Amino acid sequence: MALFVRPSALRSSLPRDLIAACTISLNSRHFSVLNRPPPNYPGHVPLTFIERAGLAVGSAVISLANPYRGDLIAALGEATATPYFIYRLRDAMLASPTGRRILRDRPRITSQTLSMTYLRSLPPNTVGRVYADWLDREGVSPDTRESVKYIDDEECAYVMQRYRECHDFFHALTGLPVMVEGEVALKAFEFANTLLPMTGLSMFAVTRLKPAERKRFFTIYGPWAIRNGLGAQEVINVYWEEQLERDVEDLRAELGIEKPVDLRDIRKRERARKKAEKEAKERSGDSLGVN
Amino acid sequence: MPLQPTSLRNLHLLLRGTPRFVQNQFHTQWQIQSRSQSTASSVNPIEVSHFNALASSWWDPHGSSRLLHLMNPLRHDFIRSCHASQPTPPGSNLRFLDIGCGGGIFAESAARLPSTASVTAVDPSPEVLAVAKAHARRDPALQGKLTYLNTSIEGLPRPRGPDEQYDVLSLFEVIEHITHPADFLDACAQFVKPGGWIVMSTIARTWTSWLTTKVVAEDVVGIVPKGTHDWEKYINEEELRGYFLRERGWNSPRVMGVVYVPGLGWTRVKGSEKVGNYFFGIRKDE
Amino acid sequence: MKIPSTSLSTRQLGGYVCSGCTRQLRRQRRSYATSTVNPDLYDVVCVGGGPAGLSLLAALRSQPATANLKIALVESQRLDATRNFQLPPTQFSNRCSSLTPSSVRFLEQVGAWQHVDQKRVQSYEEMQVWDGVTGARIEFDWPAEKRGQTIAYMNENLNLTSGLLKRIDELGGVEVLDGQKVEDIALGSETEDFDLSSWPVVSLSGGRKLAARLLVGADGANSPVRAFAGIGSRGWDYERHGVVATLQMEGPGWGGESKIAYQRFLPTGPVAMLPLPGDYSTLVWSTTPALAAHLKTLSPKDFIAMVNAAFRLSPVDLAYMHTQSDGQADELAWRSQHTNFDQHRIPQQVIGVQEGSIASFPLKLRHADTYIGERVALVGDAAHTIHPLAGQGLNQGQGDVESLANTIQYAVTHGQDIGVRMSLEPYNAERYAANNMLLGVVDKLHKLYAVESGPIVPLRSIGLRAVNALGPVKQFFMDQAAGTGVKIL
Repeated sequence: MALFVRPSALRSSLPRDLIAACTISLNSRHFSVLNRPPPNYPGHVPLTFIERAGLAVGSAVISLANPYRGDLIAALGEATATPYFIYRLRDAMLASPTGRRILRDRPRITSQTLSMTYLRSLPPNTVGRVYADWLDREGVSPDTRESVKYIDDEECAYVMQRYRECHDFFHALTGLPVMVEGEVALKAFEFANTLLPMTGLSMFAVTRLKPAERKRFFTIYGPWAIRNGLGAQEVINVYWEEQLERDVEDLRAELGIEKPVDLRDIRKRERARKKAEKEAKERSGDSLGVN
Repeated sequence: MPLQPTSLRNLHLLLRGTPRFVQNQFHTQWQIQSRSQSTASSVNPIEVSHFNALASSWWDPHGSSRLLHLMNPLRHDFIRSCHASQPTPPGSNLRFLDIGCGGGIFAESAARLPSTASVTAVDPSPEVLAVAKAHARRDPALQGKLTYLNTSIEGLPRPRGPDEQYDVLSLFEVIEHITHPADFLDACAQFVKPGGWIVMSTIARTWTSWLTTKVVAEDVVGIVPKGTHDWEKYINEEELRGYFLRERGWNSPRVMGVVYVPGLGWTRVKGSEKVGNYFFGIRKDE
Repeated sequence: MKIPSTSLSTRQLGGYVCSGCTRQLRRQRRSYATSTVNPDLYDVVCVGGGPAGLSLLAALRSQPATANLKIALVESQRLDATRNFQLPPTQFSNRCSSLTPSSVRFLEQVGAWQHVDQKRVQSYEEMQVWDGVTGARIEFDWPAEKRGQTIAYMNENLNLTSGLLKRIDELGGVEVLDGQKVEDIALGSETEDFDLSSWPVVSLSGGRKLAARLLVGADGANSPVRAFAGIGSRGWDYERHGVVATLQMEGPGWGGESKIAYQRFLPTGPVAMLPLPGDYSTLVWSTTPALAAHLKTLSPKDFIAMVNAAFRLSPVDLAYMHTQSDGQADELAWRSQHTNFDQHRIPQQVIGVQEGSIASFPLKLRHADTYIGERVALVGDAAHTIHPLAGQGLNQGQGDVESLANTIQYAVTHGQDIGVRMSLEPYNAERYAANNMLLGVVDKLHKLYAVESGPIVPLRSIGLRAVNALGPVKQFFMDQAAGTGVKIL
């Protein structure tokens, strides 16, 4: 799978971390459903290996059938992030000074921590304003995020939480909408950037796209996602709270992300074209009928 | 250490030994020779020229004399075991006479021992003795303790009393080069103090070594020129023992068989005196 | 084959270099009115007064057969400071070495161990070794029937050399020429009486000239004796420095009386914490020259934090902390909360570092092509330099010395010239292959653990875990480390 080739990650640390993670998982406690250990953090649900596997398969199947089951996609993300991937992402954060600060401060992105009024008051070219505009356009709120339950290590649980809460900033930064076509494109980007398996598994949703959407994915958004996901810096290391007043183009340039063609615009144009074609067809039909 | 194919002396040392087809000539030989006492040298001139040719490489630790160098410590072990077998082992101030000293491998080492008063070493080959003398100058500790004489045993003045006789008379790798060993040993015996020792090393005649030296080395492989091994001269341990113990005033014969094992060096192997290299020592009655 | 030395009484063995010869030379000096000073003759001239050289002289002087050899020791430093080495019990020199029981047995045999201040020596009975990348661990503790048996002794090098010097002083008979540099080594010349053209003549800065029957190079990695003998030395630099320091711990260790040595393999090199008496430990941290330099710039507080981190935190955290100019203590406090470690399987917390004890030295692998030449023998670092990860450097030197002393004794009792190559061959044969194997094993270990990624990483963990699980294999490694096992070569 071409997506797996993430040169920087591979070169520096992939196998090492893989082993480190395996070691940790091998060393971790073994238990059965009868003697479930106490949670490692509030909300933590310790799972046995079989439960974890069951959760992964079940959530994958159902969420493929219904891509709007955000809770299941979240569960899938957690069930598949261990043993390796979440540790890799955590170490990527630990290797960066900003990532370390985030891990240390553990900021949360909610409507309480981020005032929408303040964000809307920012100049239009700022990260905060773009984020607020995107939330408004898509009609979503930062509070709709599931909290992490199934990751055993509490620090890694935070990393997963942070990834989830940053997801909307990725949307805002790339301008991709929340509809399935936009999500698939963003997940492809995230997979290339974070290597989290859930983001990769989400690619199966491509099969559910309409032929025109699928064609767009393979010609426009797929290649964009791979190129940007691999080329950009680790987006998990962006301290969004500190970037709100920054020029959005400036941040894109620093991270190495190019804004893709606006999906909503394309779809609007496409719809308009189809409508025009249809009308033309109808007109010609009418004229034929007239004749 | 690898055996150099050109190292005649090594092969000589290792492979000497022949069966005797003819009934042992040794007894008859010395009986005949002892009757015709002569002042002629016991040394075979062909042997002398052979060792002249070896002179230059005598002290090269990787040269043709390597096996001799390696064997030298065993000579001291053997002499020590002879002395230890005495009811009262001798103290220090021992006087050595080394016959056929060659380049002086044994003579130098004997002179270096603190228990040694002096070493007189003789060899008939002038070239070899020149090498020995030059080499001894490299060790100031030998000065005054080691005397080299270019002569055969017959050329040495007869000792006039025990003071001029020797505690140890050594014949290392010598007897097999002697045409008339009985005469030679008769001559040697006069130089030994009462209670002193004759020690020697040589090789037994056996079918196996005859095959390896005469047939394989000389005829089949051809790495040794034909005639190098005059196996008829080789003497078995029981022949030596017989010679000395036949009413001649000697006692306590000792023997130690040694085998060269590549990688290990010379090793004492019980019973090997019957088939290969061995040391022989015998003490003069007090 | 060796004759027991008891068969030769000391009295029986006269001086190897006869006194007459020395007189002879003096007379000669008078008769030839030349500007060159004639050399004094010695049986053994040892250049270098470190542990290897001193042990050799103590061994030679203590064996009856070799006790009458005329011996000189040449050392460029003054030895008084070493001889009078003394520190309060709360301070330790930063140059410590691990001595195996077999080295200690040899030192006892030559009568030197009795002169080493035992209050400053610390034995350890257990080793904890683990892979810093994967966490795979091997625990070296003895099975029940051998519990409490010493794996090795930690000792300051100065405590050892001081003890050796005291022993040599007690035995007497060694001419100690300290504070004198070797200015030149050349072959002697031929005179009317002697041919010293094969004897090395050592010219000292004090003007003395010593002709040596056997010149022993115990003069370290850049051995002038080795250079004189034209013996090449091969190897490579590890691009690593060993950072050493004397550390104060929060307590005497998890084992109480029974002490534990710790070593963690980090991608930059192994870091080891070895117990000293009381609450003290000595550090040997092999790392890149840049990181070693960085460590030396840190404040004591941050240096302590880095050492504690080195045994606790992940390589990712360590890599980051190496980029900080300060604040490591704070970083450690935070990361310790989020890192899993079993604190009883790692060293106790370091709480202090002895002032001025942080130092570093480059790590190399070197092996001389041979240990012997005509009238030359090399011992210790002059012959070989090893990576310190197995703590074998000083022990290899002691092994050399024991072998060389036995070789010399054999040569003396068999009338051989102790200087000639023929006499020295057994020494080279006995030590070269054994040292070469150890150098190779330790080198491979270093290289194995310097790998951060690739298929080797899981394999080495499997290997370490497998060894840990297999009692007999582990026992074998422990016996090798303690020098009590069957010799592999």
